[in-house]
Amino acid sequence: MPAVALPATGAWLAALAGSPLPGRRHEDWRFTDLAPLQSVAAEPWNGPDPFALAALPAGITRLEPAEAQQLRNQVLQATGSSGAWPVQLNQGASPRCLALRVSGAAGPLQLSIDAGAAPGLLALQLLLILEDGASLELLQHHSSSAANATSLLTVAQLGRGARLHLGVLAPGDSRASLLSHLAISQAPASALQLTTAVGGWALSRLEPRICQVAGAAHTRLRALQLVDGQDLADTHSHVCFEGPDGELDQLHKVVADGAGRSVFNGAVQVPRKAQQTNAAQLSRTLLLSDRARVDTKPELEIVADDVKCAHGATVSRLQQSELFYLQSRGIGADQASKLLLRGYCDEVLRELPVAAAALNPLPLLLRERP
Amino acid sequence: MIRPDAPLLLDIRDLHASVDEQPILKGVNLAIRAGEIHAVMGRNGSGKSTLSKVLAGHPAYTVTAGSVHYRGADLLELDPEQRARIGLFLGFQYPVEIPGVSNLEFLRVATNSRRAERGDEELDTFAFEDLVHERLKVVQMDPAFLERSVNEGFSGGEKKRNEILQMALLEPLVAILDETDSGLDIDALRIVADGVNQLAGPDNATLLITHYQRLLDLITPDYVHVMAAGRILRTGGKELALELERTGYDWVDQELARLEPETVEVA
Amino acid sequence: MSTATVGDLVSQPYKHGFVTDIETEKIAKGLSEDVVRLISSKKDEPDFLLQFRLRAYRQWLQMAAPDWAALGYPPIDYQNIIYYAAPKQQEKKASLDEVDPKLLETFDKLGIPLSEQKRLSNVAVDAVFDSVSIATTYKEKLAEHGVIFCSISEAVKEHPELIEAYLGTVVPSNDNYFSALNSAVFSDGSFVFIPKGVECPMELSTYFRINSADTGQFERTLIVAEEGASVSYLEGCTAPMFDTNQLHAAVVELVVLDDASIKYSTVQNWYAGDENGVGGIYNFVTKRGQCRGARSRISWTQVETGSAITWKYPSCVLQGADSVGEFYSVALTNNHQQADTGTKMIHVGPRTRSTIVSKGISAGHSSNSYRGLVQIGPKAVGAKNYSQCDSMLIGDQAAANTYPYIRSQQPDAVVEHEASTCRISVDQLFYLQSRGIGFEEAVSMMVSGFCRDVFNQLPMEFAAEADKLLALKLEGSVG
Repeated sequence: MPAVALPATGAWLAALAGSPLPGRRHEDWRFTDLAPLQSVAAEPWNGPDPFALAALPAGITRLEPAEAQQLRNQVLQATGSSGAWPVQLNQGASPRCLALRVSGAAGPLQLSIDAGAAPGLLALQLLLILEDGASLELLQHHSSSAANATSLLTVAQLGRGARLHLGVLAPGDSRASLLSHLAISQAPASALQLTTAVGGWALSRLEPRICQVAGAAHTRLRALQLVDGQDLADTHSHVCFEGPDGELDQLHKVVADGAGRSVFNGAVQVPRKAQQTNAAQLSRTLLLSDRARVDTKPELEIVADDVKCAHGATVSRLQQSELFYLQSRGIGADQASKLLLRGYCDEVLRELPVAAAALNPLPLLLRERP
Repeated sequence: MIRPDAPLLLDIRDLHASVDEQPILKGVNLAIRAGEIHAVMGRNGSGKSTLSKVLAGHPAYTVTAGSVHYRGADLLELDPEQRARIGLFLGFQYPVEIPGVSNLEFLRVATNSRRAERGDEELDTFAFEDLVHERLKVVQMDPAFLERSVNEGFSGGEKKRNEILQMALLEPLVAILDETDSGLDIDALRIVADGVNQLAGPDNATLLITHYQRLLDLITPDYVHVMAAGRILRTGGKELALELERTGYDWVDQELARLEPETVEVA
Repeated sequence: MSTATVGDLVSQPYKHGFVTDIETEKIAKGLSEDVVRLISSKKDEPDFLLQFRLRAYRQWLQMAAPDWAALGYPPIDYQNIIYYAAPKQQEKKASLDEVDPKLLETFDKLGIPLSEQKRLSNVAVDAVFDSVSIATTYKEKLAEHGVIFCSISEAVKEHPELIEAYLGTVVPSNDNYFSALNSAVFSDGSFVFIPKGVECPMELSTYFRINSADTGQFERTLIVAEEGASVSYLEGCTAPMFDTNQLHAAVVELVVLDDASIKYSTVQNWYAGDENGVGGIYNFVTKRGQCRGARSRISWTQVETGSAITWKYPSCVLQGADSVGEFYSVALTNNHQQADTGTKMIHVGPRTRSTIVSKGISAGHSSNSYRGLVQIGPKAVGAKNYSQCDSMLIGDQAAANTYPYIRSQQPDAVVEHEASTCRISVDQLFYLQSRGIGFEEAVSMMVSGFCRDVFNQLPMEFAAEADKLLALKLEGSVG
């Protein structure tokens, strides 16, 4: 059913954000219609706090509010996130906040963010400091089962040599919206692996903004984005190198089926001070239906001569040669397609934190619910 | 072939050189006469590759003291291209790939630069093709490599053959071959060595820089020099290489320790 | 040792910067409906064209200059531009002998001899000086084959039915700000018509020269290839060195019917401004071709080396089944030049194919952006696109941006895009030098090697020209 825009919700959201809803005239939102977001009830979500953790694993402590405030300001400034509308909305929506400090090798952490059947806007902030040399594996597991909206702002600061493996597993609901902004600053010698897998939302918008504050860090981005039915999934990623010797390895995969729409915008900025940067971005799209639409737009901006930057993009259906190979071994066309699709998705899904495997992510994302 | 009366081609005296202000060569002395084949051996970091780059004029290396004369003239004040034109050749350990630039065109421009210096007429495309096809035989190379970009997508062995092909075209008086044997299987090594032997004659000289004996089994040197810590420690005949093969480089450390105990790092 | 860096080499004197001292008829500065009417009446145009201009002018008034390109320049004062300037001569001369020798000399000096004795043997040339075409060579010979090649002003008089049928059908006047401006005030340009089944017997070429300091050039080119026809067309552009900026806003429209093909090549060397970014041409150009017929083909090749600002996206609308669009581009920017250029390949018909090869070279403080769109419509079953965008950076002050948009609505289509950046490494240079190749020649070899895929697409006569032009841009003193 097409979303019905409630003017009241639009006005409420604009008031929370202190800024009108971005529309098609805004370059960053050209292909992304916010109608599903406006179809949620204009009220705060009032379920139990998804961040109410029973206990923190060893090596993780809570930040004082003042520390959290300072962290948020620092990182949002470094990544240039403050002006992003989803961040403004989140800041204005009195988010529930979880602010943590990670020292040493902390145990794995899993946050289940289930907007469930309750109406309204669920606003959350997750703030993380990884001290020098600290490491953390963290899985954010989103879900919803109603016309509600989740707004999550994740802010992380990686100290020297810190390692963060952050997974976002977000199987959605065809009435629900997800706005997730991830502002991450990386000190030299830190390593970030961000793996996101999103599918099944009326509207999802992921905004990873990563800044290597002095270069010399490693950033690995893996993304899978599935659309079917009337879904719209949008990823706007932004990586900036503020010093030399940084590395980026980005793979963005899309499966577009039904009358779904997929948008990918991948910006990489290599200013003059970022000599010896090595950045690679690959965007691969499987277009499975003639009613689906994809928009892909890499943006590479380079002002340094001694760098290696490569990017590539492909849009096609499943490889006919691969299909034929499987069929020639007696596998039916349907099953062969499924096998290939699974393989295509697994390349990203297997890079989610270990805890994701138990959730059997692919059927969830494909809405193949029992 | 050693002939004491043969003309002196290359005369290196007390050569000091550094890279990024780090001294690498610390007083190299070496004289090479026409007809001679020299081998410089030594461990990684002994300075032997630096020596070849300094002789060819690589901009990253700075000569801080000493002199190099090529046929009586000061070599060090010449640009790299000028050194090549007057007959100095460096066969690279790692030849770079130059996408887009046709190998054939590159070889022709290079050959004509050398010919112009010698007062020979420039070869047009057709005359050059004849010449290059004749020289391809020296390294048993497939003419298809001429159509590709310089070294692009060449295997290690193909790159080295392309180096020797260039040597065959440029007809240098002094050829410095930097670790030409590295990364080659036995067949490729034999082809490359055959090429070098065919090109060696009484009027030119060859300086082989190598790690191992196996190249010297195929190209017999008149002199073997052992390099360590940026200088030549010992010079002998071909039997010195065999001795090294047998005893390894351990004696080098002892010798160094005796010479300047304070600078030796203990492994 | 040579101490010159690659960056030093990219500075070169502009060789076409002279001004021809000739009496010119100019209208007053500024733009209004009266100016549009005045231009139309000066050219003695039929009413349909005046109406076309007036409609465009009114549309333009409602529009705003585009701001999405990666370009920075102060707002243009459209009232401070002269919209029509022509060397004083009564009317277009029937014979070249009657053309002012100063004009012939000017084109001689630019390497485009027009006189009977000296003209190129296999290339017909239309020479445009400021706002008017002064001469077209080989018209008679072409006419024997039924090929029409003349200035657009002449075509308006002699073939009004063709102009009315095709003008503005590929680039509607309200397509964008600059196309609207051009449609209102265009002064001259070339018209080419290749009738059914004719393969144009020679290369056609238009040479554009801006001479006046305060004049805008708004040329309009229209090329139509009927069923089975083919033509190869080349344009060249230069301008004197002034320390003010001149506006150049051209529109080029191509129409190809079944089995026809147009190969359109550009060597653009407008004055680029000095090393501090003072002066130079603002080049805002709309070029678009429509493959209307089945199996038709349009190929754009451009070598962009000049202009202070280049805003240009030669595009193909691939309507006919199995039609083919190609875009081959070299853009070299230096000093404070800014280029935002690329292409749009709009796949409408089934099994349409397109190829994009873009090579950007950025030096100095310049900014060089590739911006492209590959759009696969819902009916473009079996469509294919391959794009390759490579950037070469010279020095650490230059910017190379790549914005390759892909939009697809057709699962049975394949779109592939690849991009890379490189530079001329010290080791590559040393390798060439150590084989006796001089520094300048080594740089020039590597740059033309980088551009080879594009130069290969130029007509033979001009490939050497383009290579020379780049070499010239790279010429300099080795310290």
